[in-house]
Amino acid sequence: MLEVFDLSLRYGKHLALDGVATNIERGETVVILGANGAGKSSLLKAIAGLVKPDKGVQIKLDGNPIAGLPPHLIPSMGIALVPEGRGVFGDLTVEQNLLLGAYSSRARSGEEARRRHVYELFPKLAERRRQTVNTMSGGEQQMVAIARALMSKPDYLMLDEPSLGLAPVVVTELFETLGRVRETGVALLIVEQNVRISLSVADRGYLMEAGRIVGEGTAAALRRNSAVQRAFLGMA
Amino acid sequence: MLTTAIIAGLVLGGTYALVAMGLTLQYGIARIMNLAYGETMIAAAFAAFVLKNALGLNPMAGLLLVVPAGFAFGYAIYGVMMRPLVARAGDRSALEIDSILATFGLLFVIQGVLLVLFGSNYMSYSYLNIPVSILGANIAANRLLALGLALTIGLTLYGLLRYTRWGTAIRAVAVAPQSAVLVGIDVNRAARFAFALGGALAAAGGVVISMYQTFTATSGVTFTMKALIVVIMGGVGNLLGALSAGLILGMVETFVATYLEPGLTLAATYAIFLALLLWRPQGLFGKATR
Repeated sequence: MLEVFDLSLRYGKHLALDGVATNIERGETVVILGANGAGKSSLLKAIAGLVKPDKGVQIKLDGNPIAGLPPHLIPSMGIALVPEGRGVFGDLTVEQNLLLGAYSSRARSGEEARRRHVYELFPKLAERRRQTVNTMSGGEQQMVAIARALMSKPDYLMLDEPSLGLAPVVVTELFETLGRVRETGVALLIVEQNVRISLSVADRGYLMEAGRIVGEGTAAALRRNSAVQRAFLGMA
Repeated sequence: MLTTAIIAGLVLGGTYALVAMGLTLQYGIARIMNLAYGETMIAAAFAAFVLKNALGLNPMAGLLLVVPAGFAFGYAIYGVMMRPLVARAGDRSALEIDSILATFGLLFVIQGVLLVLFGSNYMSYSYLNIPVSILGANIAANRLLALGLALTIGLTLYGLLRYTRWGTAIRAVAVAPQSAVLVGIDVNRAARFAFALGGALAAAGGVVISMYQTFTATSGVTFTMKALIVVIMGGVGNLLGALSAGLILGMVETFVATYLEPGLTLAATYAIFLALLLWRPQGLFGKATR
């Protein structure tokens, strides 16, 4: 289980996260909903070690504290982040991106089998393994980013706005793939503006506003939640 | 005369390429513009000189001592001088400016030590100074060895960076350090390693040059400038680019010196550099979007 207790984070004077507490079980799919600037990305970045939270905070993985670890050690804990904007190595090929995905020592055993599995999940990437990534479409690059993250053998895969800038049909395809990733037992923690489609794959969700968690529940309950309906699903 | 010029050009160009590869690693990956690079080379040249004259060690064996020493020197300099700058710099351009100032100081420290130890005379030693006949041209064996060493070291390094996971990780740090962290690469460690590797290449270049050229305590600057030109011609961080650009520069210099006027070599160098900056500022092999 990945747990966050009382996480606060400041950028200068701006309080981006204010006492956030969340948890996600192994194999679970959790979505974090909220408007722009609600602190969703900051939460993922804090877990990934990319931003330093205020003192005293606890981020625990299976009961062991991981807050304050340098970010390059997080993938070897089994936590992978697909950042907003994908963060692929654009100058390298698909194959090389996947090679680097398995950089951490944790990912070396069973690497070959995982590569085959990843290429099965993303057959388009298998056809284009020697293509330079920045010559590919946005949807394909998002697949490279997810495939690279899966190569690190994650227990928890965090995705920051995976649908951003993609055509609707590509988004549908992407979430179908995420559904299949989920079936392999990888826990997914998804930050998403596209509430309808993310709730369709999620078990549970949190609602964030101005750096705080203001609501949580099962995906079905959140779909019925009037605040969620008003703010995100375009219902009166 | 043409054959002689071509081979001499290749020898000089190979050395430039070798030297520039180290600088392109330090600049492209560690983001440190090392103005003391040429001084590191000259220090290595003096080390080879001392090993040869005082201990009777031939420069090939000297290489095995001096190159690891160059690596250790780069590793130490990064830890002591560069790490604080990296920690302080908000972004890469701030680091570039700080590192230029810091290594500019380092240049004079190394040069000063060399001047105290060896004075300002031109130095050289004799090693494999026997003529070899190739296609009717007589070339000193030490020059052919220099070319062979430059190509071997350069291509080995290229192969390592291109075809291993470790090398791919180093390149990933050069092109996308923010993403490198996400796959578990320790960017600081990679930068330090690249800087140290650059030091090792500078040392190798210094020893190779000392095999066939005279040198003085103050000739480092020329090498830094030429390496910098080759790096920019080849595209920052691009090893094959550095290799090709180094060979081109060496050929041009040799041809100008042979057929036009030896005094014009430096002018020719800068003319190429200027034309390139106007025509392809990203370098011959660099990508437009950097």
